[in-house]
Amino acid sequence: MRRSVQKKKKPSDLFPCTIEELKKQLSTMLQDSPDLNFSTYTLGQKRVIVFYFTYQINKEQLHRSILDTLLASQDKTWDAKMIQNEVPLASSTLHDKLVSVAKELIQGGVGIYVEEDDQPITYYIPEQARRAVSRAENESLVLGPQIAFTESMVTNLNIIRWRLDTPEFKTEKLIIGKEIPTEVRIAYLTNIANEDLINTVRQRLEDLDVNDVMDSNVVAQLIEDRSTSIFPQLLTTELPDRFCNSLINGKVGIMVDKSPTVLITPATLFSFLESTEDIYFRWNIGTFLRIMRLAAMFLSILLTPIYVAALSFHVEVIPSSLLVSLGQSRANVPFPPVFEALLLELLIELLREAGARLPTKVGQTMGIVGGIVLGQAAVKAGFTSNILIIIVALSALASFTAPSYMMGGAIRVIRFPMIVLSGLWGLLGIFLGLSFLIIHLLKVSSLGTPYLSPLYPFHFADLDNSIIRLPWSRANRRPTVNETKKPVKFSQKEAKKKRDIDE
Amino acid sequence: MKIQLQVPVGIQIQAFYVFFLIHTTQVGTGIMGISTHIYSTAKQDAWISILVAGVWMSISVFCMGKILQQYESADLPGIQVDIFGKFVGKFLGTILALYFFGLLISVLLNYIEVIQVFLFPTVPTWLVCLFLLSLVVYAVLGGVRVIVGVSFLFFVGTVWLLIVLYKPISLMEWNHFLPVMGNSYSDIASGAFKTTYSLVGFEVLLFIYPYIQNKRKAHSAAQLAALGTTLLTLAVVVITIGYFSGPQLERLIWPTLSMFKIIQFSFAERFDIIAVGLWMMIVLPNMITAMWLCTHTFKRVYGLRQKQVLYVAAILLFFGTIVFQDRLQINYFTDKLATVGFYIAFVYPIVLWPIVLLKNYIRRKRGTSQ
Repeated sequence: MRRSVQKKKKPSDLFPCTIEELKKQLSTMLQDSPDLNFSTYTLGQKRVIVFYFTYQINKEQLHRSILDTLLASQDKTWDAKMIQNEVPLASSTLHDKLVSVAKELIQGGVGIYVEEDDQPITYYIPEQARRAVSRAENESLVLGPQIAFTESMVTNLNIIRWRLDTPEFKTEKLIIGKEIPTEVRIAYLTNIANEDLINTVRQRLEDLDVNDVMDSNVVAQLIEDRSTSIFPQLLTTELPDRFCNSLINGKVGIMVDKSPTVLITPATLFSFLESTEDIYFRWNIGTFLRIMRLAAMFLSILLTPIYVAALSFHVEVIPSSLLVSLGQSRANVPFPPVFEALLLELLIELLREAGARLPTKVGQTMGIVGGIVLGQAAVKAGFTSNILIIIVALSALASFTAPSYMMGGAIRVIRFPMIVLSGLWGLLGIFLGLSFLIIHLLKVSSLGTPYLSPLYPFHFADLDNSIIRLPWSRANRRPTVNETKKPVKFSQKEAKKKRDIDE
Repeated sequence: MKIQLQVPVGIQIQAFYVFFLIHTTQVGTGIMGISTHIYSTAKQDAWISILVAGVWMSISVFCMGKILQQYESADLPGIQVDIFGKFVGKFLGTILALYFFGLLISVLLNYIEVIQVFLFPTVPTWLVCLFLLSLVVYAVLGGVRVIVGVSFLFFVGTVWLLIVLYKPISLMEWNHFLPVMGNSYSDIASGAFKTTYSLVGFEVLLFIYPYIQNKRKAHSAAQLAALGTTLLTLAVVVITIGYFSGPQLERLIWPTLSMFKIIQFSFAERFDIIAVGLWMMIVLPNMITAMWLCTHTFKRVYGLRQKQVLYVAAILLFFGTIVFQDRLQINYFTDKLATVGFYIAFVYPIVLWPIVLLKNYIRRKRGTSQ
């Protein structure tokens, strides 16, 4: 009997109570936070308490809207309903339980309670530390918009609405994380995006059973199809123009609060190699850039392994004229080619990692010291050959041309097993590795969409805007792989209409 | 066992991939040494033998198409059970699966031998075998979609090898083909018979058919693949006969590969070494399809889990290749297998078609009389 009585004394049954009781209960619930501010006023016959976290709320709104209204006449006796009616703020909530009051306070609310009243009232006037919208740092562009997303979801939504001012743009709100909830939005254009795709994305996000998510990159890894793969399966970007362009082409975006990058799905291998700059450039230059990046990817993976294989096993493949200079430059090197190549690749990787971790000012110096001085010294000391330095530098440069940092990382890591394979079994090893890569890529999918599309399954029309770029008058289709509701952007007939001379 | 095989739309493939699937299954190790084989009997008229074999293949593909038309969505193991009854049908299905297993062994052995001759004389057979088999198992685990993808992408990735043949073409001696029809009909016929080893593989159509989305176009895609392979074989044989002199050609084992020796660029000499490495990408789709056919047939006939069959088959193959030690054994095995392949791919469909027609005719008649 006694236990059931005790059970009934839950916070929900706290109200109505005295101000002291509320203070005590709330402080205990919020770990006696020193920043929890209580101020008590006696207005009319009753005492009124106003409480909030000092750093979580907008002080100006508190003073101007809440306190000014409450303190305007000293002899009015307030209750919750009256406060709701008279305070000129929209976001008021009445609470029955103390827990929900505490939750609101943490997120940036101000609580008001009239002594012996039934319900406390809260106003949501948060103040979040956020950085101003700035230039894109990681995916830098020469042409096109320079604006980048920030950590604040509100700011990001604001930027996207500015670019996509159509009522068809829709976001769905989901809360992920059991212990630390994070707001996640699924964004798409209702008249274009494929329903099945949206359902898949929603299903995957709803099924997540995690305590917290740190960043959008973590969300991407949580919902991807094949977690054993080295390849990223969702595109992360910090560029609003890229995000909006993807949505217009029928893709679905995922935005995560507290993260400066957004996710785009489905992503194919080729979408990681394209930059929005290709679109801003003229179509022929854009095509050239895209094919160059594709070639760079192959070069980056294959160049050093080919060097190692040729020098270790297949010397007869090297033309005699080249063999002389190769032999001269390798005459002083005491190591086998595999070891030499791995050493130098590791050096470049270390340089890159050091450059990324160091402050920008020191980072540049590091690049020069590492690149020029170390490289020169390594050759002089007989550690490596001149030619290998050229090859390694070339493949490192090639790997940096991937517009997605994530894909660049994948390409760089693939190189190491390829070098080891070529060092062990020469050309056989290279083709073994290459075949494995292709079969692997065939098996990967991004939320059900084949990763190698439009190459396999082959869609001739989709080659535009993935591997090449066509002039705008011909690019009248959305990618078929996205299975959009409106596959055609505009009529080809009108765009192609030929005019006679002087018409 | 169900006669019809219903495949969910998600894993169905477009008919035009049938071209790549059939073509890559046909082209493999056979084409490396085909010229010597045909030349040994048909001499300078080898090209006629190939045309004869090509026409015959086309007829066989036509029969396959007609057989498949009789059913809505069936494959050969199902049709056999439907026609010959459970016992005989299953027995024939087992023979087919074992034949594909043998095909795998022969492809593996032949390619490994090429690697040992051209690239690494000391590399142990089991090591290369392990490499190739692990790739095959990895691909087959991905199912039909991945297998077809492999054959498509690897075809695109290797078809450029034809371009570098411009060099031997420019050095060809057209006198080697004279006199035309200088050999007896029986020689030419036996040359055509020898061509068949490098043409078998088109029977994959009888197995992949239920997986095709637009089944009406499958037949023409298969005919196109047969034509493509015939033309490719023809080109290779004509070039090798024109390029090598007769006695020289008879001494070579892999004339197609030897031909690559004279190709050189400013950045690479001895192109044959690169070609042998690249040949892995020609052989792999071949083996992957054969492995799928073998395991899929076992699954269809005995209702086993394909994954388990796959692992067991891979282990058996691994030990199977170690048994063979020298060239003579491999040749003997390949010859016997070629004969079996000839009957399965070139004779069986032509025989099966009238039987299927007769059976269906009888069945229809019974249906109407009842």
